[in-house]
This record gives sequence, C-alpha cells and structure tokens, in this order.
Amino acid sequence: MTAPALAAGPVRRRSAVFVATAFAAAGATALIGSMLAMWLDFRAKAPLRASSDGAKMIKDWLKADVAVPEVASNTMMITFVAVCVMAQWAVYSARRADRSHTILALSITAAIGLALVNAQIALYLQMGLELRNDAYETLFYAVTGTMLALIVSGVVYSLVALFRVWAGRMGDHDVLAAHALYWYALGGMFLAVWFVVYVQK
Amino acid sequence: MSVADASSLSHPVADEPSAVARLAAWFTVADHARLGRLYLGLTGVWLLLAAVLGALLGIERLDSGAALVDTGAHVQLFGLYHYALVLGVVAPLFLGVALLVVPALLKAATVSFVRLASFGFWMWAAGGALVVASILANGGPGGGTADAVELYLLGLGVAIVGILCTAVSLAATVMTRRNGATLDSVSVFVFAVLVSTVGIVLTMPVALGTVIYLWVDFANARVAFGGTGLMASWLAWLFDQPQSLLFAAPALGVLGHLGAVAARVRQPLRGGVLVGIGLSAVAVVASVTQRSHPFAIGDTPAETLGSFVPFALFHLLPLLAPLIVIALALLALKAGSPRLVAPFVPAFLGAGMILTGLVGTAVQMIDATDLQGTVFTEAALVYVVYGSVLGAFGAVAYWSTAIWRRVLPSGAVLAVSLLGFVAVVLAALPHYVAGFLNQPAATATGHDDAGLRGILNGLSALGHLAMVLAVLAAVAVILGARSRGTETTTNPYDTAEVAQ
Repeated sequence: MTAPALAAGPVRRRSAVFVATAFAAAGATALIGSMLAMWLDFRAKAPLRASSDGAKMIKDWLKADVAVPEVASNTMMITFVAVCVMAQWAVYSARRADRSHTILALSITAAIGLALVNAQIALYLQMGLELRNDAYETLFYAVTGTMLALIVSGVVYSLVALFRVWAGRMGDHDVLAAHALYWYALGGMFLAVWFVVYVQK
Repeated sequence: MSVADASSLSHPVADEPSAVARLAAWFTVADHARLGRLYLGLTGVWLLLAAVLGALLGIERLDSGAALVDTGAHVQLFGLYHYALVLGVVAPLFLGVALLVVPALLKAATVSFVRLASFGFWMWAAGGALVVASILANGGPGGGTADAVELYLLGLGVAIVGILCTAVSLAATVMTRRNGATLDSVSVFVFAVLVSTVGIVLTMPVALGTVIYLWVDFANARVAFGGTGLMASWLAWLFDQPQSLLFAAPALGVLGHLGAVAARVRQPLRGGVLVGIGLSAVAVVASVTQRSHPFAIGDTPAETLGSFVPFALFHLLPLLAPLIVIALALLALKAGSPRLVAPFVPAFLGAGMILTGLVGTAVQMIDATDLQGTVFTEAALVYVVYGSVLGAFGAVAYWSTAIWRRVLPSGAVLAVSLLGFVAVVLAALPHYVAGFLNQPAATATGHDDAGLRGILNGLSALGHLAMVLAVLAAVAVILGARSRGTETTTNPYDTAEVAQ
C-alpha cells in the first residue's frame, strides 16, 4: 500500500516588510558608518598645536573649552538598550496574541524614542557649541543631527506599528519583527556614534 | 418613474475626473509599469540633456577661449554634465527597465512597496529639477550664489534618496516575490537587478552622508570641506568607475539573458554568468575609500605590490564582470544554433562599450600613462553610460511585448543600435586619443586647440549629437510600433528550448 501523496503546502513568502526594513537598516548603517569614517579621517588629519601648558603637542580638534556632556550621552546609550527590549517585548506579546501588552510595549518604545530625541537636544544645549568656527563643529552637528533624524524615523515607525495594532491588525508579526530589527540597527549605529563621537571624541 | 429614469439610476454616469484629480493621479501613481515608463521617459530627457551638454563642451574645447558659454560657467557645466550622465541617466535607467519587466519575469503581480518606488521616482525627478534650477541660478560646484549652491546640494540629496527608495523596492521584490524560485534559477537580468540595487542601497547612503557634510559646512562654517571649489572632488567617486559599474550591472544581465535566447540553447556555464555579474558588486568598495587607487612602480617590490593590490581590487577585478559575461554569451552562441535576434545586438555592443570604459579606467590609473586629469577619464565614463543606454535599449526591444504589447521592428532596432554604437564610439574614442595628447579634463579653455586635438574635440561633439539622433530615433521606433503595430503579448524571440 502506498501512502497518499500529500498536497504541497503553501510557499512561505518572506515578509517584504522585514526584508525592506533590513535593506533600510543596512543603508542607514552605511550612512552613519561613512560619516563616522570621515570623522575619524578628519580627526587623524587635524593639525597639531601646543597644549595649554605648553608641555606637549596635541591635535587641534576638540577645543579645550568645549566639554562633552557624558551623562547625557551615556544615558542615551543605556536608553537604547531599553528601547530595544521594549521593541522585542512587542514582538513577544504579539506572537501570544496579547494585544494590550503589544500596545503598551509599542507605546513605551515610541515614548523612549522621544526621550532619546529630548536627550540629544539637551546635549546640544549643554554643549552650547556654535556652528561657525572649525571642522569639529561641522562634523559634530552633521553626524549627531543625522543620528537624530534616524531616531525620529524609528519613533515614526513605532507609531505606525502602534496604530496598526490598535486598529486590530494583530497578525502582522513580521511588521513588529521588522520594527524591532530597525531599533536594533539604530542601537548598533548609536553605539558606534557614542564610542567615536562622545567617548573617543 | 420612466424607463429612462430607472436606467439612469441603475447606471449612474461617471463624472470626468477633475484636473486636480488627474494631477494627483500622476503623483500618486501606484502602477509599476507606468512608473517604469515614467522613469524611462525622464531618463530619456536627461540623456538628451547629457548629450547636448557633451556636444556643447566638445564645441567649447574647439577654441582655447570661451566660445559659446562664459568661462566662469564651465565648472558648473561640467558638474551638470556629470550629474546628467550618472544620476540623470545610468543610475535610474535600469530602475525603470526593472520596474517594467522584473514582476513579469518573477511571475509576480507587481513590485513590493510600489508607493515607495513611486515616492522614489518623484524624489529623483524633483532632485534633478532642483539641480538644474540651482545651476541656472549660478549654483552647483564652483557656483557663486550661496543659496543656489545650497539648492544644488539639496537637489543632490533629494535625488539620491529617490534612487535609494526605488532600489529598496526592487531589491525587496526580488528577495520576496520569486514564487518559490531560487536566486540561481531566476532570469540573469533579475539577478543583475538584485546585485545593482543592493549595491545602490549600500553605496548611495555614503554619498548622502557626504552631501550632508558638504551642506552643513557650506551653510555655516565653510572651513572643513573647502567651499564650492572642492565640492566636486568630495563626490568624484560617485561620478566615476568603478561606482558607475554598479548602476550598469543590469546591462550585463540583459546580455546574459539574451545570449541564450540568440543561441537557442540553455546558457552553458550559467553559474559563471552569475559570478561575472556578481563581480560588479566589487564596485561597492569604491564608496569605502572614496578615492582613486593608481598603480605606480615603487622603489622596492613591496612598494610596487602595495600599490598594485588596491589598483587590482578597484580596477582590474571589476573588469572581469563584463569580460566574463561577454565571453559566456559568445560561448552560448558557439554551443547553440545562433540566429539574428535584433535586441541582442545593442545588448552585446553595450556590454562591449562598458568593458571598453572599464579598460580605459584601468589604463588611466597606471601612473606611467600620465592620463589622470585628462579627458581620458571623461571618455571612460561616457563609454560606460552610453554603453548602458545601448543595453537598456536591447532590454526594451526584447521585452517590448511585455511593456507595450507591441513588437519593435527588427530592422529599426538594428538601425538604431548601430547609430547608437557609432555615437558612443565617436563621443568617447577621440577623447581616449586626446587624453594621450594631454587634453585637460574639467576645463574647456587654456589649452592648445590647434591640430589633431581640435579635430578630436570636434569628432567627440559630433558623437554626442549622433547620440541625440539615436535617442530621437529610438523614441520614434517605439511610438511608431505603439501606433501602428499589432497588439500582442507573445514574445517573438522566446523559444521553448531556452529555459531562463
């Protein structure tokens, strides 16, 4: 007796949203990566000047009277960990069809994203850096401003995902997974920005 | 109620859409085929502009002084010329062709995120319009009006974002709408589109990052990037080889597809064709270093090797891409029973032109030739861009039944292809020769215009004008087929034995 042939199952199509988000994240990573590469290049080529005590020659890069607020930048880095956890919580809740927790997770993700924007603006205000004197200022505002724009795009993504779930589209697990992927990518990018711009300066 | 009244109730007369609604329909177009046609149409306009600018610059070079255009505007004209060739023509050209035919080749209903692709088209179109407006208002590289220079950078950024959006849409389409087909079993053209679009996604953000830096610096401190004078040099890698090969890679895919069709045989060593096209992705490294890598003989073997390795990576490895595809297309012709397939001719000639451009780029990067800074560089770019145009014409002619449901007449396709081929050779080859005579690039004045160099510049200008004719002839052939040809969806070139 031969076993009856099973009908072919449906072809599982990879989620276009997930793949497109992966491409967008790759593009954003290339954007930030290239800008940081140029930052490092400019810093390496910065001319030398005597230190304030005249004891040694140092790179004429970050002015002596400019202090980078490390509390704000470190807080941002830690906050990125939180935002990634919240985005993954949304994926976890959606897979269990837990609508209320999914909405809560996405709301917190968006709120933390806004907190990141707030922290970046606070950092600008604390630094009080003017955009008119040297290459450091140009590159600092360009890199961090681009990162800020990417964070805003992440917040918009969170809000879109939130409204979709709110409207009852709980089955779109791929959208939530893609949303989490985007925040992971942003976290990775900020890690690089944090290390190069705020730690190494 | 009368019968007439009842009829009018059951079949209400549809109102004509208002002008605003019709306009909105254009801007919100969500039909991949229409988008593809829009891309091709506007690319055609940019191609005409590029050819006219090429001819204009050729005429300018006939005279060591300013002939038609004020000397101060030359740098801006060169900026616009390079923009037109790369971001106006070669980068969007195959996005348009891909939007038209990729869904059909994948047996998909449409592309993924068609509205993203539509957004990309309008961004690219708006960016191009801003660039032209800025040049007209004395902006662009070397421009004298600050606001117009900022407008140029804005246009550049907007156009880059537009190309990126459409590339993401197409890459996602190939990755997710293959209906069970594996990447090595899809059409070679589809594979080439994937290589090209992924390359665009990885490299164009690098250009965008540079544009952001340039804008922030120019609008504020103007201390880091050298103002308008050095603006072009920061983005030189974007308008040069091997980056342009990334945009041109689908032209190799067209040849890879049509080689088997013309030979009426399944492509021998098909994996080799895929490897050849995949080698185009090496061009991604151009965005990593953003500078040229000439080869110079050093004092020690280690120095020579240190110079040769990056040179080989950047300029010899990409050469293999067209070389392998052309060789395997010829192998298919040898293995099968070839017949004259008209679209194969422009595809083959186009790939040959791309190869010639890449060979030229490699030659000029050899320090001993002393060709850098001459028109040789410009000629190499023209070879690649115009070669891609020939390849795209081959694609459009081959898939015309899928695009317009009409067959383009073979004789007309061959005639346009040969005219295009002559145009490419005339436009670029004289500058290959003039490069050895030290004809400087990026300027049309201050050189000795007597003798052979004058003749070569004149020939180049003629070549660009011939390209204008070729474009107009191609448009006439397409419009003629659409108005007079018989409607059909059967591709006359497809044969049962070729399973792409």
